Amino acid sequence: MSIDRNSVLDIIAEEALIDRAKLTPEATLESLGIASLDIISIVFALEEKFGLTLEQSDLEGVESLGQLVDLILDRARAESPLLSQPMLGKP
Amino acid sequence: MTARVAVTGLGCISGLGQGIAATWAGLVDGRGAVRDLSRRFAEDERFAFAGPAAFIDAVDGGAVETHAGRRVMAQLDPVSAYALAATHEALADAGLLDQPALLDEAAILYGGASGGNVTLEEAYGRLFLKALPTVHPLTIPRYMTSAAVGQISMLFGVRGMAFAIASACASSAHAIAEAMHLIRAGRAKVVIAGGSDASINYGSWTAWKALRAMAPDACRPFSAERKGMVLGEGAASLVLEDLDHARARGAVIHAEVIGAGASSDAFDLTQPDGVGAVKAMRQALADAGVNADEPCLISAHGTGTPLNDKMEAQALREVFGAGLDRHAVIATKSAHGHLLGAGGAIELIAGIRALQTSLAPPVLNYLGPDPDCALPLVLGAAAPFAGEVLVSNSFAFGGMNSVLVARRFG
Repeated sequence: MSIDRNSVLDIIAEEALIDRAKLTPEATLESLGIASLDIISIVFALEEKFGLTLEQSDLEGVESLGQLVDLILDRARAESPLLSQPMLGKP
Repeated sequence: MTARVAVTGLGCISGLGQGIAATWAGLVDGRGAVRDLSRRFAEDERFAFAGPAAFIDAVDGGAVETHAGRRVMAQLDPVSAYALAATHEALADAGLLDQPALLDEAAILYGGASGGNVTLEEAYGRLFLKALPTVHPLTIPRYMTSAAVGQISMLFGVRGMAFAIASACASSAHAIAEAMHLIRAGRAKVVIAGGSDASINYGSWTAWKALRAMAPDACRPFSAERKGMVLGEGAASLVLEDLDHARARGAVIHAEVIGAGASSDAFDLTQPDGVGAVKAMRQALADAGVNADEPCLISAHGTGTPLNDKMEAQALREVFGAGLDRHAVIATKSAHGHLLGAGGAIELIAGIRALQTSLAPPVLNYLGPDPDCALPLVLGAAAPFAGEVLVSNSFAFGGMNSVLVARRFG
């Protein structure tokens, strides 16, 4: 399973127990009720599924869901050059 | 004047099914929930476990999530999922789900023998089986003994005093007893009391087997050829309420909790000595103002282990004397298995339903009398019971005993 925007959103929906439909890029983490412990669970699941290592400090200053997903995808590309393909990049 | 204590809400889930209706139908019809269990931990044949157990196939969390307005069940250990399902039913039954002001002041006393075993097993499996360096970050808040209490409080907006009570297989009985005392003392008008346990996992199963406490066939309380207990799982919740408070808001009152007794054996970690059981029963009857001659429905601890049942039968004989035979003894672990920390609560509920319907559910799997356990057991099929008083026994490992007394209301 490769990492892309969809799979990241799946993980966020599952770990933070949020309806997938509510996960729009402009939604803030606060409005979605994504708390620090949810972030830790999301980071854990990303490591489980994709071997992606993130520190919580990497996510400081992230306010919107779009920012969170971009940051995760940027990190994934940095760790694995194979993923740095345009189709997986920012729209 | 000391407040009287009403039961205004009931809810439960066990191998018999989800909800009071399914549970009571199973008990009255003599349909046991014990089936052949066959599972493997981590899909690994080396960690296969099998045998008779009263397990839950799935929890319907629909009502809970509709009430919450969000998904909650998928991220919970079963010990908390069961507790939420049972408590939602009890609060709905009490008409309190839409009473935020009352819930704001309500208390929670909830029992459990061991917390989230499934979560802990998952975490340790990662560490020792897969040699991974980390566990799920929510491992602690999911498995802690008070996890279910926190979930109940959050989900239903209960903001009074709340904590977990642990006394192994008497946990929820102790919780209900203390809930009664809270209300009597005027410290709370509404208390959610009960217990939850989910121990049908590889580690817990293996540990129970190691203790040689598990029957290879069935749970046969007080029967000849009984060979031990059968593991169950689930939760049972009651809403206890100041009787005047309940009346004033027009709540349906299922029964009145009129007494409790508690004692410790100071004897042995697993063997009961009987002295503590007698003491707790006498204390409970005295607290309830019930004379031992008054016809009682006795919901026995009745695990089906050779020693416990013998001890309990002797203790009952000592407390009730020659008049024991005018009472009726039921032992519903034969149907729903041993719910450990939730046992006291589901057995009290079974007894309350029996008082309400004047019908005592049968003790299952009985093979014939054991001279050490000569008791007026309800056998074969449900039997009429016209009395008004219920005595519910819970005798736990560590010699911790809790006895509850309830009376039919109205």
